[in-house]
Amino acid sequence: MKIIACYSNKGGVGKTASAVNLAYAYAQSGARTLLCDLDPQGASGFYFRVKPSKKLKEAKFFEDVERFTKAIRGSDYEYLDVLPANLTFRDFDIFLSRMKNSRSRLKKALKAVDGDYDVILLDCPPNLSSLSEAVFKAADHVVVPVIPSTLTERTFAQLVSFFEEQGLQAKKLKPFFSMVQSRKSLHGETMERMRKSYKGKFLETQLPFSTDVERMGVHREPTMAFAGNRPAGKAYRALWHELEKRT
Amino acid sequence: MSNSLLSCSEPLLPTDWPNLSKGLVAHVDADQETAKFVLLDCFDQSIRQSGRLLFESGGQLTLVQPDGVPVSQTAERSGNFVADLADGPVKARLADVDPLRCLLNLGEGEIDQQQVKLVDDEEKTHLRVQVLTFSTVDRATSLISLDPVRGYGKSLKLVRKKLAERGATEAAPRQIMDVLFPELHAYVAKPKLEYSQETTAYCAANRIISAYLSVARQNEAGTLADFDTEFLHDYRVALRKIRSVLSLFKGVYGAAATQDLKQRFSDLMAPTGPLRDLDVYLLERDYYFDMLPANLHEGLRLMFATFEADRSAVLADLTKRLKSAAYKREMADLEATFVPPGECIHGALGGLSVGDYAQKLIWKRYRKVSKIAAKIDDQTPDEEVHELRISCKKLRYLIEFFALQFDAAEIKALLKPLKRLQDNLGLFNDYSVQQESLQALISSGRLKGKTALMAAQSIGALISILHGRQLEERARVVQSFARFDSPETRERFRQMFHEKGPQL
Repeated sequence: MKIIACYSNKGGVGKTASAVNLAYAYAQSGARTLLCDLDPQGASGFYFRVKPSKKLKEAKFFEDVERFTKAIRGSDYEYLDVLPANLTFRDFDIFLSRMKNSRSRLKKALKAVDGDYDVILLDCPPNLSSLSEAVFKAADHVVVPVIPSTLTERTFAQLVSFFEEQGLQAKKLKPFFSMVQSRKSLHGETMERMRKSYKGKFLETQLPFSTDVERMGVHREPTMAFAGNRPAGKAYRALWHELEKRT
Repeated sequence: MSNSLLSCSEPLLPTDWPNLSKGLVAHVDADQETAKFVLLDCFDQSIRQSGRLLFESGGQLTLVQPDGVPVSQTAERSGNFVADLADGPVKARLADVDPLRCLLNLGEGEIDQQQVKLVDDEEKTHLRVQVLTFSTVDRATSLISLDPVRGYGKSLKLVRKKLAERGATEAAPRQIMDVLFPELHAYVAKPKLEYSQETTAYCAANRIISAYLSVARQNEAGTLADFDTEFLHDYRVALRKIRSVLSLFKGVYGAAATQDLKQRFSDLMAPTGPLRDLDVYLLERDYYFDMLPANLHEGLRLMFATFEADRSAVLADLTKRLKSAAYKREMADLEATFVPPGECIHGALGGLSVGDYAQKLIWKRYRKVSKIAAKIDDQTPDEEVHELRISCKKLRYLIEFFALQFDAAEIKALLKPLKRLQDNLGLFNDYSVQQESLQALISSGRLKGKTALMAAQSIGALISILHGRQLEERARVVQSFARFDSPETRERFRQMFHEKGPQL
């Protein structure tokens, strides 16, 4: 099982959209996938029409394996389940350690309900908190959408130095350029500069700026599901493909 | 999560859904037109026996699995054996079906399909339902397969409850056959016969023969239609078992009657031999090709072409015979003879109770097997090995005839080592028979012209390979018997069939 986090320390960069589409892409490839909605603002569950569970806010939720597995909802797509949740750090820590430990009660419980997952995608809240730190430790890959602008260039630099300071494995970071507008020369220049200074780090795939990403909220489906053959849909597929190749 | 399956004797209509799914909206995708369906299964209904249902409709083959999950694939196929189906999920799941058995059309009717999606106010799917409504002229039933979405158990529960109120009950796919085609009984190649304590050996013999006559008769139509080779095979096995009863149950019928009946059953068997022999060759075709290098394949092809031509001729002969008035009269006569209580003349031992008699027969046969085997070493002539094979076969038949008179686990423990021994002896025999008939084919002068030499070369090579294999099997016989002849098996035979006790 691998854990992939979609993270950005800046909001509005297309993080939830990439979590939703990557989860969809993994499921389409036949991998049993669980998308965990950890970001109260992102609401990846919303895109799958899954209503948040009220019970999830109760204390000690994640120590109760049975209630945890009960909170998982099947999406309308094969192999793709969603955990609609606003987790506290404490909950999440327990959750991750249980997911990683193959002998834990949680893993067993998931197996029992035929929900032993191949891939777990985490849609993380956009901050540098103890929760994010737990995510960085637990995840195999941290996918970071970066808008090629001066501001996000700086926030990405902060993230990289945070990894260095905390002694985290920087190679887990898998940044890619998001919301790219090819007509803007600033975007082109920034991308060129960043690719040079972070040599080999950035994924090749670039996500174009597209209404098809925004329209996910209207369709309440992943972009790949309703616009799979349009530029954004294709780019998400390429992103998944590249991630699969690199992992 | 696995599906759950319900059935409803009153067909479920698309318009029923609003009442069945409170709080949810039903999106129903129903067929506009009724389609025909054909129910498929082997003659022994092995698919139904395993709890599944296979049907063909609109160019698709659909297999409903025991848990109700249906899988489909194209119905295109090159023949009616599972191996002939196009590759796909149905074929993959039918891998357990006997490769020698073909799929038959066991019933027809009309089918309506509905795909239902139950969604909430955000259009999120809570439950998927597939409804298959099967109907024949006078019967109809719906098979409702519920495919729940994880985390939406409440909706599943609700719909189940509503369906139950409407008369739906838990179902197994095979029930469809029970409901639609109640007259369709499963074919049983080995009828299980049970006797009471008072049953005499005479009555038991009548019942066994009567049961196997019925097995033979059930295979007539399939033999004539030439669906698959198992029909003729089972037909012959049934008649052979009857002959064994006649020769093994000594003294149950009068001597003259026994003699007469044996002759009549031999006369029934005789005309089926040539067809069976050819079937065996043709079934082994791939195996023969595998045995020989490619440069000898052309000769094999010539040989098989001869076999195929022969088979058509032989089948025509047998068909004529099975359709003849004389044959039908003879079968009807025999059936009447053994209808319990039977009209044969009692022999001296006919009045014994079946339990005592069975013990006596099995023990005697077991002793005979042991006696023959004791003489066999690596130098013993083949004839004696054949004798051992035949004796083992008779022992097996006897144990099977009376199996229900004894403890099932004990019988199983006896049959297992016996079957293994028989496998070895059977192969030994097959290789030897095949060599003989291939030799006969060469000497017959039937292979003529330029191709004769090529065919003869291949056949010659085949014979030498078969000879090698026969020797290998022969070398195993002594060891095989030693394995069968364990102290436990000996003790078991003694306890079950020799010591006086309340066996029945």
